[in-house]
Amino acid sequence: MTRITPDRVVGIGALVLAVIAPFIVSSYWVGALLTQMLFLGIVAASLIFLSAYGGMISLAQVAVYGIAGFVVGNATTNGNTKGLNLGWNPWWGVIAGIAIAVGVGLLFGALASRSVGIYFLMITLTYSVIANLTFGQVTDVSGFGGISGIPAPGAIGRVEAHQNRLYYVALVAAFLVYLLLRYVARTPFGLTLQGVRDDPIRMASLGYNVNLHRTIAFGFASFVASIGGVLFVWWNGHIDPASIDLGATIDVLVIAVIGGLYRLEGAWVGALFFVIVNNYSQQISFIGPRFHTLIGAIFLLIVLVSPGGLVGLWERALELASGTHKEPSDRTPIEVGPVESHV
Amino acid sequence: MTDVSKAEIAEPILRLRGIGRRFGGLHAVRDVDLDVAHGERRAILGPNGAGKTTLFNVISGDVGPSSGTIDFLGEDVSVLPPRARAKLGMGRTYQKSRSFLGMTVEDNLYLAVLGTRSGHFRPISLRKRDGEMRDRARELADAVGLGGRFGELVGSLSHGEQRQLEVGMARASNPHLMMLDEPASGLSRGERVALTELLLSLDPAITLILIEHDMDVALRVADRVTMMHDGRVIVEGTPDEIRANQTVHDLYLGRGNHSDV
Repeated sequence: MTRITPDRVVGIGALVLAVIAPFIVSSYWVGALLTQMLFLGIVAASLIFLSAYGGMISLAQVAVYGIAGFVVGNATTNGNTKGLNLGWNPWWGVIAGIAIAVGVGLLFGALASRSVGIYFLMITLTYSVIANLTFGQVTDVSGFGGISGIPAPGAIGRVEAHQNRLYYVALVAAFLVYLLLRYVARTPFGLTLQGVRDDPIRMASLGYNVNLHRTIAFGFASFVASIGGVLFVWWNGHIDPASIDLGATIDVLVIAVIGGLYRLEGAWVGALFFVIVNNYSQQISFIGPRFHTLIGAIFLLIVLVSPGGLVGLWERALELASGTHKEPSDRTPIEVGPVESHV
Repeated sequence: MTDVSKAEIAEPILRLRGIGRRFGGLHAVRDVDLDVAHGERRAILGPNGAGKTTLFNVISGDVGPSSGTIDFLGEDVSVLPPRARAKLGMGRTYQKSRSFLGMTVEDNLYLAVLGTRSGHFRPISLRKRDGEMRDRARELADAVGLGGRFGELVGSLSHGEQRQLEVGMARASNPHLMMLDEPASGLSRGERVALTELLLSLDPAITLILIEHDMDVALRVADRVTMMHDGRVIVEGTPDEIRANQTVHDLYLGRGNHSDV
């Protein structure tokens, strides 16, 4: 039987609230804020997964999400916009978008896998810039103005008319992504990734291919990010290079850090915080145009006060409440017991 | 048939010829020839900076040799990456513990078992296969005296227990050759005795190469000793010969540093 912990209570509470949200908050909240929170959270979760389990802080997640979005846009629009206008069924667009984003992600990962730390960060920043400029300048697939009129599948219908449908699709996707990431962390692939994060040299001498492992992890995170990209273009109906510019890249990093880089839950906590601040600051005339100054100041405050983000604050509050503040181990070496010789 | 197996036994498991390694102007290892027989217990001694750890790193592939060749099990492995050498049957530990502090003893040993098997990228847990590997991890933990701490984070183990875990991880792949870099460093006297017992209890079929400063541990475990100094092999012999050797005494009693010998 699973134990009842504060984490579980809050987690299940949040899930229940998310499920009944369309019945208790305005349709504006559901359509504009919560749906956005869900897909931004998925992208941020891909970043947190790479960072927490793989030790790789990637600035390319928005680029990958954009690639998926642009592929869906090119594949599923029909005649009246920029791009290839292939006019495919939206579900084929999803498959193509995710497949191409994962393929590019594997290529990105292979090239970056030999680098760590600041070098990895810089290479992935380069990917972000490359994606942004490519879609801006290759007018065959997008061009500066982007692709408009991207349809969601028929079952979801016109998003403006049926906001709750896309919301529930995004909620299911986010929940599945969360479960998937948690599950994978305990599989051979995930445990190995954590070993690679902690000590690549040791892992190599145990028989592991460290660079290949990093590459595949990057591809896997690209799969997650691309789901966010598909939801984004369905939600927005439009994608242009500014959707994946440096500002958007930084926004997702800010979401991950504000939420908490060490736990997957932080992705959606950070995304909710971000979309609420973004939305309501626009209504204050003095702050509206200065949103990035505001979110930057909050970012700074969070980093200084709680390196684990908002989720880290929650964990600390729990520790204080229960009086189980974790102290670093101060055990002294003790005599070892008798050694059994089983050999 | 008998001829072949005889030839196999006569053939050393590890053969180094002319191994050298430079780091810029530093000649950490130079012109080392070394033959280690199947099942041998070899200790490598020498003062700090003698090149022992560099030699280990060259053998395991963590750094490449600047010159020379390494044959392992009759195959030239000089340019193979560490993971390929691990799969051929080399297991090693490091001077400073390199276990995964944020994981449990179980997960550390599990990773060590998985390392030389297939399925590194398997994104699903399989009860049967993972259960078998976790059983193996449990056996290893028991064998190195960590059975009682199986579920604990490695960061909470004592230094001595971490050294025991390292030996367990090096054994996980059932290597033909195990290389231990100062397994007794930083241990208390009691822990050193326990570690010596552990090393003596290893399967005699496993070949063991050991870097060790502690003469009690080294000379008790080893049946041959190689003495290094300034990157070169200067003496090789049985523990008794090494005990009686004047050069070894000079180096270890510090007289080697005074030029009035």
